[in-house]
Amino acid sequence: MYLRFNNKMRLNIKKIFRKNKSNEKVPYTGSNWFDNLLSEIGGLSHFTALFFKELFRPPYEHREFMRQAYKIGLSTLPLIGITAFIMGLVLTLQSKPVMAEFGAESWLPGMVSVSIVREIGPVITALICAGKIGSGIGAELGSMRVTEQIDAMEVSGTNPMNYLVVTRVLATTFMIPILVFYADAVSFVGSYIAVNLQGFTSLPLFVNLAFDPLHYADLIPATIKTFFFGFAIGIIGTYKGYYSSNGTEGVGRAANSAVVISSLVIFIMDLIAVQLAEIFNIFY
Amino acid sequence: MNITDNILSHSSDSEKVIEISHLKKYFNGNKVLENINMVLHRGETIVVLGKSGIGKSVLIKCIIGLIKPDEGTLKVFGKEVSAMSPKELNDMRTKVGFLFQGNALYDSMSVRENLEFPLRRNKSIHDPHIIEGLIVEVLESVGLLDTIDKMPSELSGGMQKRIALARTLILKPEIILYDEPTTGLDPITAREISSLILEIQTKYKTAGIVITHDLHCAKTTSSRMLVLHDGVFIAKGSYDEMRNSENEWVRSYFKIE
Repeated sequence: MYLRFNNKMRLNIKKIFRKNKSNEKVPYTGSNWFDNLLSEIGGLSHFTALFFKELFRPPYEHREFMRQAYKIGLSTLPLIGITAFIMGLVLTLQSKPVMAEFGAESWLPGMVSVSIVREIGPVITALICAGKIGSGIGAELGSMRVTEQIDAMEVSGTNPMNYLVVTRVLATTFMIPILVFYADAVSFVGSYIAVNLQGFTSLPLFVNLAFDPLHYADLIPATIKTFFFGFAIGIIGTYKGYYSSNGTEGVGRAANSAVVISSLVIFIMDLIAVQLAEIFNIFY
Repeated sequence: MNITDNILSHSSDSEKVIEISHLKKYFNGNKVLENINMVLHRGETIVVLGKSGIGKSVLIKCIIGLIKPDEGTLKVFGKEVSAMSPKELNDMRTKVGFLFQGNALYDSMSVRENLEFPLRRNKSIHDPHIIEGLIVEVLESVGLLDTIDKMPSELSGGMQKRIALARTLILKPEIILYDEPTTGLDPITAREISSLILEIQTKYKTAGIVITHDLHCAKTTSSRMLVLHDGVFIAKGSYDEMRNSENEWVRSYFKIE
């Protein structure tokens, strides 16, 4: 057990990280999966605490934040667009026969819009971003770590935690909600086309039918959780990359585990968000 | 044989810029640096020789504050490195340049941006004319002005090394720490880099510590040499003194020359 608590129940941070043979600071790896899980949780918690410590410490890297936000947003737009369009199209086409069977075809746009806004849009967009952005950040920082670029940055008088980590985590936190709105909108377009593939529904009628069942209770919790999804993607990607070790193999592992862990965390967060929204019922 | 006391008592009238005393560093219980003592004076260049993986790079990373030593004192410009505040550490790092073994150029930035990066952050210079002037000056020093808008991936290993040296020089450091500056280069380029280091020492009057196992580089750049073995310096002196050392292990190192 590597995560120890002393009498005051404070995390023993020194036990979370170790230096490997190449003098790289890496999280402890235990002898079994449970030890490894605890080490990962401890390491990630410590890294998150460091993030918040650096977040409010100047200098504030506005330019790098804007560059990252632009890069993350722009690079993901086509992928999100195509996926969201197909998602809206397929969801509508698949649901149409079932709705027709119950004579509820007019509810189709509403059903699709609620599904997309509440659940499918945020989760699918976050999973795509975990794959594209999370792995990109993990690989980029991992490669910077193994080629000593992070050390060079530190030696150049730049705090790499501030310059590399804070900017990327903030960029993902603020860009994922925007990408989710964009994905929702493109999905509606896909859905509208699917509705009109067989039969005709005018655009004003479709918009009316799609937006009528949507309430703030659908939109607000869904939007709030996307900020958490974005934060999770950023913090896990940067954590895996920042503590990458063992050369190019380590870079590959960092990119891979960034995707796997963030995808898992997105599902867990989604589950918690749904439960919280149900329990508190605050937006109804 | 430990030549600790001799190294500490190396006499020179010039100012001591780095003082290391009884420095120890262990990794996971493995001894890397056992009892390191050395003094670097202003304007002098010490070459540290030793086999690969013996802790030479660890020593200079301790000096720049990238690695914390376990025991001992390490003073740069008279101040203990481990006791420096983040601001003092930054100030110290603007005066101490570090040339990384793998160059560590930022591969997402062009040569110009690589050189601008430390300038904007440390000297708070934002006037584009002044920045351009400094970039041109250091690129001319390393003879690569025509690469200013190229990306690091477009440059050869030797060119990357020169650009990395230019990036180190742009802050006009008083000390430069070279981590195996000729490793991985062909013999001709390695000799060019060694000559360039010597030129820079003369032109900018910098002190330096050169970590290497390249004997030609050691011969070209050193004012004096130290040989690291088993975590301690086992010999010191000029290149010729080392080659004729009484210590068989040291002499054997020079047999490959």
